[in-house]
Amino acid sequence: MNTTKKLISLALSGAMCVSLAACGGNGTSTTAEGAAVYRELYSSEVTTLNYLTTSQTNEYAIGANVVDCLVEYDSYGNIIPSLAESWESNDDMTEWTFHIRQGVKWVDKDGNEVADVTANDWVSTAQYVNDARNAADNQYMYSTGAVVHNAQAYYDYTAYLLTLETLGLATGENAVDDAGDPIEVVDPVEADSIGVKAVDDYTLVYTLDQPCPFFLSVLSYTSYMPVYGPFLEECGDQFGLDNENLLYNGAYILSSYLPQQERVLTKNQSYWDKDNVFIDEIRQTYNAEAINVSVSMYQADESDYAAVPSDLLDAMLADESTANLVHGSRPDVSFSYFYSFNFDPQFDEQYEPENWKLAVNNENFRKAVMAALDRVKALTVSEPYNPSDLMNNTITPANFAVGGGKDFTQYDALLSYTQGDSFDEAKAIEYRDAAKAELTAEGATFPIKVLMPYNPSTTNWDKECQVVEQQIEGVLGSDFIDIIVQAGPETGFLSAVRRGGDYALMKCNWGADYADPQTWTEPFVADNSYGFWDLSEDPETQALFAAYSAKVEEAEAIYDDDAARYTAFAEAEAMLIDHAIAIPFSVSSGDGYVICDLNPMEGEYAPYGVALQRYKYQHLYDTSMSMDEFETAYKEWEEARAQAIATSEE
Amino acid sequence: MLKRVLHALVTLCIVIVIVFVLLRQMPIEGYFNNFDKLSDAQIKAGLQQLGLTQPLPKQVLNYFVQILQGNLGISNKYREGYSIAKIIAQKAPISIEIGLISFVVSLVVGMPLGILMARSTRTRFKVWDKIGTVLIVVVQAVPSAVYHLLIQLYGSEMLGVSMLFNTRNLETWILPIFSLSIGNIAYYAMWLRRYMVDESNKDYIRLARAKGVPAARISRNHVFRNAVVPLVQYIPNSILFTLMGSLYVESLYSIPGMGGLLVQVIKLQDNTMVQALVLIYAAVSVLGLLFGDILMALVDPRISFTGKEGAR
Amino acid sequence: MTFRRMKAEQLETALNKDLAKQTDPTAAYADLPEDELFTPADFDHSRAERGGYSNYSYWGATLRSFFKNKVAVFFLCVIAVVLLFTFIQPLLPNQHDPKTINNDPLTGVQIINRAPDSEFWFGTNSIGQDLWARTWAGTRTSLGIGLAVACFEALFGTLIGVLWGYVRKLDTFFTELYNIFDNIPQTLVLILVSYIMNPGVGTIIFALCLTGWLDMARFIRNQIVIIRDRDYNLASRCLGTTTGRIVTKNLLPYLVSVIALRMSLAIPSAIGNEVFVTYIGIGLPTDIPSLGNLVQAGRLLMSQPSLRYQLLFPTAVLAIITISLYVVGNAFADAADPKNHV
Repeated sequence: MNTTKKLISLALSGAMCVSLAACGGNGTSTTAEGAAVYRELYSSEVTTLNYLTTSQTNEYAIGANVVDCLVEYDSYGNIIPSLAESWESNDDMTEWTFHIRQGVKWVDKDGNEVADVTANDWVSTAQYVNDARNAADNQYMYSTGAVVHNAQAYYDYTAYLLTLETLGLATGENAVDDAGDPIEVVDPVEADSIGVKAVDDYTLVYTLDQPCPFFLSVLSYTSYMPVYGPFLEECGDQFGLDNENLLYNGAYILSSYLPQQERVLTKNQSYWDKDNVFIDEIRQTYNAEAINVSVSMYQADESDYAAVPSDLLDAMLADESTANLVHGSRPDVSFSYFYSFNFDPQFDEQYEPENWKLAVNNENFRKAVMAALDRVKALTVSEPYNPSDLMNNTITPANFAVGGGKDFTQYDALLSYTQGDSFDEAKAIEYRDAAKAELTAEGATFPIKVLMPYNPSTTNWDKECQVVEQQIEGVLGSDFIDIIVQAGPETGFLSAVRRGGDYALMKCNWGADYADPQTWTEPFVADNSYGFWDLSEDPETQALFAAYSAKVEEAEAIYDDDAARYTAFAEAEAMLIDHAIAIPFSVSSGDGYVICDLNPMEGEYAPYGVALQRYKYQHLYDTSMSMDEFETAYKEWEEARAQAIATSEE
Repeated sequence: MLKRVLHALVTLCIVIVIVFVLLRQMPIEGYFNNFDKLSDAQIKAGLQQLGLTQPLPKQVLNYFVQILQGNLGISNKYREGYSIAKIIAQKAPISIEIGLISFVVSLVVGMPLGILMARSTRTRFKVWDKIGTVLIVVVQAVPSAVYHLLIQLYGSEMLGVSMLFNTRNLETWILPIFSLSIGNIAYYAMWLRRYMVDESNKDYIRLARAKGVPAARISRNHVFRNAVVPLVQYIPNSILFTLMGSLYVESLYSIPGMGGLLVQVIKLQDNTMVQALVLIYAAVSVLGLLFGDILMALVDPRISFTGKEGAR
Repeated sequence: MTFRRMKAEQLETALNKDLAKQTDPTAAYADLPEDELFTPADFDHSRAERGGYSNYSYWGATLRSFFKNKVAVFFLCVIAVVLLFTFIQPLLPNQHDPKTINNDPLTGVQIINRAPDSEFWFGTNSIGQDLWARTWAGTRTSLGIGLAVACFEALFGTLIGVLWGYVRKLDTFFTELYNIFDNIPQTLVLILVSYIMNPGVGTIIFALCLTGWLDMARFIRNQIVIIRDRDYNLASRCLGTTTGRIVTKNLLPYLVSVIALRMSLAIPSAIGNEVFVTYIGIGLPTDIPSLGNLVQAGRLLMSQPSLRYQLLFPTAVLAIITISLYVVGNAFADAADPKNHV
């Protein structure tokens, strides 16, 4: 495996040399000429550097580079030691012991040593994150999937205390909230009782309530990153507000932080693994118009990265000066997009929610829409070059989770979907006619109005909706279905539209939290905020939901046999697609098309957590890969990865 | 004088109150990054921390007390926990510097252009007038969102300078200043021409001309002096408002100034920042008017500053 | 020398005639025809009412003076043509729908970013919609917005301006009100409106009207203050003319030209505002074509020379409208000034 990797990097550097020669060596940021400085523009400022509470990619991108986790990933997605040198679990996978690397230092923004990294730092994190007062985004990582003992109990207790506090009450006896409803008393839970213990300074133990075979994959989440307790206490509210109120133990130090202006990540000279950090400095300049100017900036050699809007792609490939620079990026399988039907519509009378309820509970109607949706056409908007590369035939993306020797999407129950496209005009018309007959009998009126909102601040979503509207109406006929595309609010879009049920059919997404198919069931189990099919009053839908829930429960209970666990989850997922509860759509296009002097294939890889944001292991090259170079590198990476996985399975 | 200042203060207070009320109409989702994941108690605690749960009059009162203590407050979203005064102290100088330079440039170019245009209206082919009019019309007609971008793209290519602003590298100041000036050049030229043409049609100028006073002297001593008066009034405001920066130019060139700050903080719903900025801008515009009147009185002896009502 | 004698004789006869007239008055007009003679006139009541009269007509003179300006007339035609064309365009044969995504009939793939050709005169945009149709539909939308806002500004702004300027008791009140409203950031109001109401043409018109009338009102007020105390108004007031009559008969006609000028400038400025509002992300939903949306979409493609046509066309239309209105407005204002009517 190691040889393959070397071969690839050889091949890559070879390719680099060739393209460098072709370009006449116009790069100045060569590693040979002193410090390697990677420059880029960014247009969206972070609101906090507090990595413990955020789950937004652009915010934890800084945290990921300045703080290390217990484990990290190699470039193929294998878990390798980081701050934990080794680990073991008990037989039923409920107790995990980590041996912490010794001699790792916390340093401040100037690189001065402050303290040693010890097992206590993870205990501090758990206590901080599970305190409701800190409103951590990723707290749920302690209670879904991997259930850390007493974490949720402590959270509930602090939430209860917070409720009392906001009401200005000292005790919870007979307390009532603003609406006059009594507040349930929660028994005290001590922070110390959370199942994260430092046995000694270099031994850390996590105690789980349920067996969890994928626990290691949870550990690279922001809410499992270490923090130096005494410093956290000293900073209080100020923690993470700027680079002085933050300590570093990772590959980089945030040496300069000027919001809306510039931030500089400098290589951490006391980093434990600094031999694997090849870029000396990352300089990010704020530019609100980054999308308009970054390509020109790259050409003027003032930046090493430019996102290429899909609109510009064809033109740039036709243009000689840019044709050899643009390349795609690795599809991001950590996000799955699917069109969700809303079974509990809360939208305005003018869009006929009652009529919609009849339609959405009719399986033939749902199947008609599913078969009518030409995903390739819709995806052409964001990926005009190879739209079908992004297509996802199942809710769980392919290449996401491997168990029992094969990819999750290759299990029998899902195989037929994985291999085919759901778009089929003939079938769509068949389903439509069946649905029309059934729905007419039930008293529905045609055309059925389908409210399809989009968030105007999401690039290309508006265009995609227009394409989908015309495409589906074209197949099913506008006398059958009338898709109404509408802009939703920019602020609080998800809470207003998706959580508020203010849609009929909408593209939703879910991001993976850990390396197990269970993570993809979360939008469909009870109390989800997606399609609300658990709330449907229709007996048929209710029966489907009950069957699905039972299957998921059955699958969750299997922890010692990957193949059996995956089979059960695959069967559960197949039920969703069989009955068209949601329409699988695409994976995320990652960074889309870019011009970039890095080779992402060198970096850490994991389709969840913070690994993809890290600059560690990456080199800065003189010029950007071309489309072909990238394709070759990607193919090689895929093969090498398959081999690496096969080797690690043995 | 004192009365006017007091008057202005009352106006400021009312503006603040109205802005306060308007801001409280913003959706509460906007105050949180992760509204979707928060429980009711957490939302409430967050709102309490922002001081939004108190009755409105009390909030207003607290704010005024705080302002009287000379405290603009703490930003709570744009740069959480950071003093607003500090943020502005960092950003304002850059905008003011660039703004002032471009102001001087636009006066130095715009005024002569205006004079040239006005004079050439009396010549046969009106060459300068035509050239100037075309410039003015084009600058006005092409949306600024477009021509700033054009200047950046082509300008940096032609001059071979960086597309991004850098305080230390004076070369990089050229394009943003040019971008900022061009609109004002057109503005000054247009109005100066208008006022001069109007002035030169007046009877006393005709008389002077008929008497045989040299054209240059008429133009310099009579027409220009009188025509420049209405323009002078706006000069203090133009200077003071350089503080606001320019949204388009500053975002294009990555200039860390005040441009677009207000739009940004309104969208972020950083209430304390919005209030502070509105307060500052309102104060600046009141001051600007005051200075404008004083300057008018200085330039034009017929206008007395202590007159019954400030000419606006 | 006979010539001199003849002259002398003539003079003598003339002098003799005059002398005869003086001695006998009737002899002076004895040889005139009957109808040249004075006769007593009947008393005619209506004639007694007639004042001084000349065939000067204000509007006639204004128009005549305006049409003398060839450049202005040309731009007036341009406006008329553009305006007419936005309405005619959809009726022309072989037009694409501005919202329809065009697919290649052979492959079924969307025709994206097609440069201008005989089928798509302005090319297609990034999802395959016809830019020719979109540009005209956008012009329609934006001109509609501009007209609506300008009309509101003219009506409401003039009303407030007149009250503010003419009614002295209200002056302090309105000045105060103006100072306050002027200091409330327009962006804040625009964003609030866009949060409260659904994004759409109605919302944007409402939002722009909400903030746009201030300047107009101030402008009118200043004009009124300048002319309200002129002698002819003073005279009217002394003669007991009512305020309403002075305003509508004495003041407003004087202001018609400046109001027209302001309106002609208000339309492009409303369109410009629409572009700005789109720039800061609270404009019309992108599926409604408007010049603001088209310009914003085009800006994103600026860095690629081969796609600049997508910015060029909407900007050109916008520029043409602005320039035409500007030139026509200015020429009209000049023409409306009675001093130029001689």
